[in-house]
Amino acid sequence: MAGASAQGTPSVIVSELDIIYRVYGARSSALNNAKRSFGQRLLQRRPTTGVREVHAVKNVSFIANHGESIGIIGRNGSGKSTLLRAVAGLIPPTRGQVYISGEASLLGVNAVLMRQLSGYRNIMIGAQALGMSPKEAASKVDEIVEFAGIGDFIDLPMSAYSSGMAARLRFAISTAAVPDVLMIDEALATGDAAFKERSHERISEIRERAGTVFLVSHSASTIKSICKRALWMDQGRLIMDGPAEEVVAAYTKRYAKARPKKSARSSKKPASKKEPKSSTDQSNK
Amino acid sequence: MTQNSDDSGEELPSISPFEAEQLAAQHSLTRVGVRPPFGRYVKQTWEKRRFLWTLASSQAVARNQNNYLGQLWAVLNPILLAFAYWLVFGLLLKTREGTTNYVAFLTSGIFTFVFISSTLTSGSKSIVRNTGLIRALRFPRCLMPLSVALAELVAAIPAFAVLVLIVVVTGESPSWSWLLLPVALINVFLINSGLAMIAARIIETSRDLGNLIPVTIRLLRYISGVFFSIEAYAGTGILGNIMYYQPVATSLSMVRQSLLGEFPPTLSLWLVGFGWAGVLFTVGYIVFWQAEAKYGRG
Repeated sequence: MAGASAQGTPSVIVSELDIIYRVYGARSSALNNAKRSFGQRLLQRRPTTGVREVHAVKNVSFIANHGESIGIIGRNGSGKSTLLRAVAGLIPPTRGQVYISGEASLLGVNAVLMRQLSGYRNIMIGAQALGMSPKEAASKVDEIVEFAGIGDFIDLPMSAYSSGMAARLRFAISTAAVPDVLMIDEALATGDAAFKERSHERISEIRERAGTVFLVSHSASTIKSICKRALWMDQGRLIMDGPAEEVVAAYTKRYAKARPKKSARSSKKPASKKEPKSSTDQSNK
Repeated sequence: MTQNSDDSGEELPSISPFEAEQLAAQHSLTRVGVRPPFGRYVKQTWEKRRFLWTLASSQAVARNQNNYLGQLWAVLNPILLAFAYWLVFGLLLKTREGTTNYVAFLTSGIFTFVFISSTLTSGSKSIVRNTGLIRALRFPRCLMPLSVALAELVAAIPAFAVLVLIVVVTGESPSWSWLLLPVALINVFLINSGLAMIAARIIETSRDLGNLIPVTIRLLRYISGVFFSIEAYAGTGILGNIMYYQPVATSLSMVRQSLLGEFPPTLSLWLVGFGWAGVLFTVGYIVFWQAEAKYGRG
């Protein structure tokens, strides 16, 4: 766990990472499809003619250290979420390597646990997957419920939760174990102000305990307020890596120059910018 | 769109695979996104065995939570099913040849078969249905099909308690061979787990093949001697022997030999049963492990 590692030593190493998705649905016209035999259709997940490849992450290398909080910024579809999932070990790289210290915990807007199960069961499942024993998990339940603020809903299936509640519960579960590497994918956008403050506290606590925090966001202000360092992704490439202030400044400046209208939206009103679509659109669900 | 990537000037320094490997070894980082070696995979699976139990018990509870009678259905369902089959095969079609206690023969067959078929149905979808969980947490993926098999075992226990009751009511007298019932059920569980792991990988690779699962189950139902005695109807020739010693029929016979006085336990059948369990579980585990790094891609 995190306690064993010193601040400032590497916690994540990414070397020449490439991720190529195969998108099958986009491949052929209905006419072509009708021509294919039954057998071919059965095996359609095999790369046959016309499979569209999406090169979501291109030759990305970086090292993250213990105790760092790193923002990943970029436009929709720039490969931010894909990069994060690969670093968490949830998507196998097409080329390149990813090394990580201890357990990674990924918290995404779309990451449902098991919707048909109660909040309590989900806490037990999530906490144990993150390496806790059943006893430790059970002892954390009260704390998690309180942090997430879900109260009596704990015994109801998660399918009955509002999206904010579910997001809060996921955040509380992901951070209960003090993961070595915490990855947050736009999830903080769903909470109310009080929850945002609590989650910011929790993030700095994890950093103090030598964990590493990654935060994907379109919002320049969120990145600036939480992160010290930032990575700027554009069309799958890592185009800038440096102190959050500088990277965010360059990012906003780029779009202020190139597209006056769009940048006005992204830099002046970051708070209202709650776009449900992140780059996971590429990820061929 | 394209001009953005070109005007950034210098490329960021890349870290070569060799450097990365050195640095990772120095700070004892582990590589992710690759399939772990088989030995380590077994170890990881074993270390998460209590997590497996949590997953399984949660799924067992979730099965009957969306109706009023709840867990009572775990007992009611098999009884109703047995009644329906008895009506068709016991009264209308009369497939009771070669059996003396047909009701016990039929119910033990149905309960065991339902245990197998429901594991196969839900186990095959265990990866595809739980992509949310898989994309959120890192754990050996074989825990998904295994937990489904375990949940079905837990859910089958009330049915088998009912079965013992039916067996007593229909006139069987308790015998030492009844102690073999748990052994038979655990053996069925191992066969189920193997089948679930194989099916889960196939369905994940080619979802279309999921449509073939119901057909397969229907076929198995009619060739495994659920409601007729294979020996009496298919004989003991090559075909009869193949039917009798395939994994599903073997499982059914093991349960019957434990409970019914008219079928005393035979060593050959139990050895074949243990063989199936060992082979299917091992093959299933290896087949599943081979694609470990691919699950959850979409």
